[in-house]
Amino acid sequence: MDPAPRRTISSFLLRGSAQVGLFLILVVLWAVFANLAPGFLSKFNLNSLLRSVAVDIVVGFAQMVVLATGGMNLSVGAIGVCAVMFSGYLMQVLGLPIPVAIAGTLALGAFLGWLNGFAIVKTGVNSFVVTLASASLFSGGMLILTKAVPLNGLPPEFGAFGKSAVGPAFGSIPAIPSLAVVALAIGLGLYLLFKHSTLGRQILAVGANARAAEMSGIPVDRTIVFVHALSGALAAAAALMLTSRLAAAMPAVAGDDWLLPSFLAPVIGGTALSGGIVSVVGTILGALLVSTIRSGLLVLEIGNFWLPLFLGAFLLAAILIERGRAAYVAREQARRAL
Amino acid sequence: MRSFFRLQWSGILVGIIAGGIALALSAPAFLSEFNLFVLLRSICVSLLVAYSQMVMLGVGQMNLSVGALGGLVAVVTGGLMDALGVPTLPAIMIGVAAGGAAGFVNGWLTVKTGINGFIVTLATASAFAGINLGITKAVPFYNLPADFVAFGNGRLGLFPLLLIVPLLVTVVLALFFSRAVPGRHMLAVGGNAPAAQLSGVSVPRAIISAHVLSGLLAAVAGILAVAQLGSAQPTIGSDWLVISFAAPIIGGASLAGGAISIVGTLLAVVLIGLIQNAMVLVKVDPYWVQFLLGALILAAVWFNRYRAVRVGES
Repeated sequence: MDPAPRRTISSFLLRGSAQVGLFLILVVLWAVFANLAPGFLSKFNLNSLLRSVAVDIVVGFAQMVVLATGGMNLSVGAIGVCAVMFSGYLMQVLGLPIPVAIAGTLALGAFLGWLNGFAIVKTGVNSFVVTLASASLFSGGMLILTKAVPLNGLPPEFGAFGKSAVGPAFGSIPAIPSLAVVALAIGLGLYLLFKHSTLGRQILAVGANARAAEMSGIPVDRTIVFVHALSGALAAAAALMLTSRLAAAMPAVAGDDWLLPSFLAPVIGGTALSGGIVSVVGTILGALLVSTIRSGLLVLEIGNFWLPLFLGAFLLAAILIERGRAAYVAREQARRAL
Repeated sequence: MRSFFRLQWSGILVGIIAGGIALALSAPAFLSEFNLFVLLRSICVSLLVAYSQMVMLGVGQMNLSVGALGGLVAVVTGGLMDALGVPTLPAIMIGVAAGGAAGFVNGWLTVKTGINGFIVTLATASAFAGINLGITKAVPFYNLPADFVAFGNGRLGLFPLLLIVPLLVTVVLALFFSRAVPGRHMLAVGGNAPAAQLSGVSVPRAIISAHVLSGLLAAVAGILAVAQLGSAQPTIGSDWLVISFAAPIIGGASLAGGAISIVGTLLAVVLIGLIQNAMVLVKVDPYWVQFLLGALILAAVWFNRYRAVRVGES
């Protein structure tokens, strides 16, 4: 039964979960980029990579919680821009204290998400269509109200947080940016929600089989409304992080730019589009993979303009490699079971 | 009369007529020959974009790369004419072929890898946009043949020459989905893929054909956009996503697949064009167009469901 010692490491790597495979791809990419471009591991590059990946992780979470129920939220970016401008309005125009502005922005995000969930449950229309329409409504409404004028006079402390870091720096290893700590804290909260709370298990049950969940007494409609409100609040959190990183509230950020990252991070990380399966760790690794590829190609100075091509190709390749590994594992297990 | 209201697109037609009358009364410029020409020309590209997505909805899939694919074909065609000096007709043919090839890549990847088509086309959209930017370095191709640009701006009275292409495509698509075997196969796969497979329909072939057809339609849309603008802008297609889904869905297509309406899609594009035209005529903030488009999608799906329930009851 026991595999030969020589095979243990390789079999561990092959038999591990999807997240292990993803982690391996990441390690290989980091080794390649670090070798090809010394600038990749510089303090400056690592710091900027971690600060941008922190936002992408939370954007991925905003999509992940809806994917858990088998739905989609195409308005993540639209809620994001609304939250960006609303936070700027609360801090700069109304002059509210930062914690109040943060709470107000998160509440707006949750409310817009709730509207999505409410419309989906009440009309019975597919979440794709409802959120496609609400994305137009939200960003159109935001532009009508703000006239697309950016807000640059945010409190300096708010922008300073986006640049700050926690813990000491060791040699070339930089301190951890505060934004990355925020992303990890949100991840921990979601991990506990999905792993150890009744509500989280109910969300996954709805995603795996809504009819069966309904018959087991789970309030399916209420669960769907909840995940959309949570998705809105997470999009607003990502928006706050982005506003803090840029130290300004700009209407041109987020929006359509979030569509691709919001799906890639969870899907690469093993979250199923059909619902019922999520991975918080996978989403974090997925966002890291996307940012690593982007950052690595930028440091290697492979023409900026070609970047989206490589990004699309690398991502398909990463998904394919992971699929191939999972299929190999399944075959191996079937063979051993005989 | 009752059978008219049972038709899926009856609501849209009523909306177009009521909106048209209201607009003609409030803004006399609406009925001027030039305004009607502008209105008709504005729907040419949208119509093909909508058909490109409608085909995918028919087979029960989505194509998020419609805009990126159309944009890529636009700059490839423009680049062939401007940088390489290829004559108009061969350049257009190569552009359309490139669109079909890109659609084939979408379909082949979806079928062969088993990855959800939504994710595949999201990734290829990024790839196509990257090739577009890599070729153009974000600089448009301006130097296009005069006959090509003249076609994009030409008109007979209020009838734009450009409109010939989408009208022709409409007829061909209507025949394809009602009479041709591959068209019927696509709808069968969209309606119930396992049942279609058991009935001897090749599901992979139907999905790949739908992707190729979608790519061809997006390619023609991209080329028409170049003719209309008079230059091959790298930004062509970047704002097609919402309209590509909005028109077929307002027109009554089901996201579950198998049910599409060409007349409904056509009327939905006209209605959206009418709203955009109205915003210009009554001088409203252009941002309202985006807002109203969202409201219109929601209202239409709501209305369609309500109507379906009522028809089911009677």
